[in-house]
Amino acid sequence: MMKHSLEHHRYAVAVTWRRLLQQPFSFLTNVAVIALALALPLLGSTILVSIQPVTQHVSANPSITVFMEPTASLAQAQAAAKAIGDLQDPNVLELRLVSKDEAFNDLQSNEAWRQALDVLPDNPLPHAITVTLLADQAMSTTADVLARQWEQLDGVQFVQLDSVWVQRIEALLRIGSISLALVTFIIVLVVLAAVFNTVRMQALSLREEIAVARLVGATESFVRRPFLYQGGLTCAIAALIAIGLAKLALIPLNEALSSLTRTYDALFALQLPSTATLVLFVLAAIVLGAFSARWSVTRHTRY
Amino acid sequence: MIEFQHVFKSYGTGAPILDDVSFKVNAGEFAFIAGPSGAGKSTLLKLIAGLEPCSRGSIHVNGQRLDQLTAHARPYLRRAVGVILQDTHLLYDRSALDNVMLPLAVTGHPSSVARSRARAALQKVGLAGKEQATPIYLSGGEQQRLAIARAIVNRPALLIADEPTANLDRDTADKVMSVFKDFNQVGVTTLVATHDEELMARYAQRVFVVEPGRFRDFTVPKS
Repeated sequence: MMKHSLEHHRYAVAVTWRRLLQQPFSFLTNVAVIALALALPLLGSTILVSIQPVTQHVSANPSITVFMEPTASLAQAQAAAKAIGDLQDPNVLELRLVSKDEAFNDLQSNEAWRQALDVLPDNPLPHAITVTLLADQAMSTTADVLARQWEQLDGVQFVQLDSVWVQRIEALLRIGSISLALVTFIIVLVVLAAVFNTVRMQALSLREEIAVARLVGATESFVRRPFLYQGGLTCAIAALIAIGLAKLALIPLNEALSSLTRTYDALFALQLPSTATLVLFVLAAIVLGAFSARWSVTRHTRY
Repeated sequence: MIEFQHVFKSYGTGAPILDDVSFKVNAGEFAFIAGPSGAGKSTLLKLIAGLEPCSRGSIHVNGQRLDQLTAHARPYLRRAVGVILQDTHLLYDRSALDNVMLPLAVTGHPSSVARSRARAALQKVGLAGKEQATPIYLSGGEQQRLAIARAIVNRPALLIADEPTANLDRDTADKVMSVFKDFNQVGVTTLVATHDEELMARYAQRVFVVEPGRFRDFTVPKS
């Protein structure tokens, strides 16, 4: 029984191969269409997967900076920091006083800023207090309330919510992820349709062969198997080509990106997802192709 | 081997092609189904092969009641029945050898075994040396014999043929019939539909005559 089953698979592989060789142009066109379609979500996920660690290294906890008036003394700044601390607000995670000298030294360590600061007669920076808040659902309301409260403290010029940009990037990434999921869904439909239609055409053109096979006792799985292999093989090759295409597309993208990140003294490059993820990607494509082929052949060989 | 009990067959709302047909063919018998064109000979064979369902009644083939067979079991019954239809249903883009190997692939035989059995079947029907020829390059008689080779390669218990000698000259028809006789002599039940009376007179042990609205079962004495 097992031996017969293996023979059936071997026969199906041979039949699949023969059918592909009989219509190489149709097969290659189909592979190209599916590969291009699969390359899109792969490239999209590459970008998302590469950007996510960058944002994860930046704290997304909301933080508020309380800037003192330029004329305010360090003692006034210390008093304001103490006042904020004394309020013992449960939303405050951490509080730190940054003196104007410390801020000035920090800026001077940056080459671009040092040249600008050198021409100034004295330190124009104010003392500041950075307050990190606990992230929660009502963070923006809490931060607003605290900011208004702290603006009333003696010597405070203004209060600024600092981490909004991180949250914006995170929101953009969420939008990106949802868009990618939608694009992936559409691509899945495109792949299903492409394989479904190819198998439909082939099943119709092989009507006689299928009828003869049934006449001599072929089971439905015997009839379907070569089509399943064809669907799976088409999508496997297309997925591998899609990985190659995505890798090729990353070359100009990374070149453009590196010229941008160099201006920030940073190193950042887009990278394809891990090998395990890519293997899963290929396997998912095979399953998708085989499923679509099975659906099509079951539907179009009922005669 | 084959048993029809009060079988009716009609298409749509038209008059029945087969009207209350009952007969029995025992294992190892050689029988003809005779009758004019359009009388229902081909329909009768298709019912036996399980290619079409009957409208009423019951059909038993090789110990199995056809209308109670599941879709899963039906292919296994077809493997026990060698079918040669009027249109030979050969695969014209494959070699003669590939055509005969198909039933063996269906039953999961390794290709080496399938190849040697297919060659033997081709030899048995007188097509040795034509293994690589595609059916289009074979004569009508050779195509008919190729269809026979495909039908017998899985060693079926029952062989049914629909007008296998139609459009063949007498010599070729005799060759085809002698192939059937050879298989019958080794125990294969054989049922041949034909309207060739001379052929029946020469080979028949038993004849069923299908006529519109009538079915008769009798034996023709050999001349």
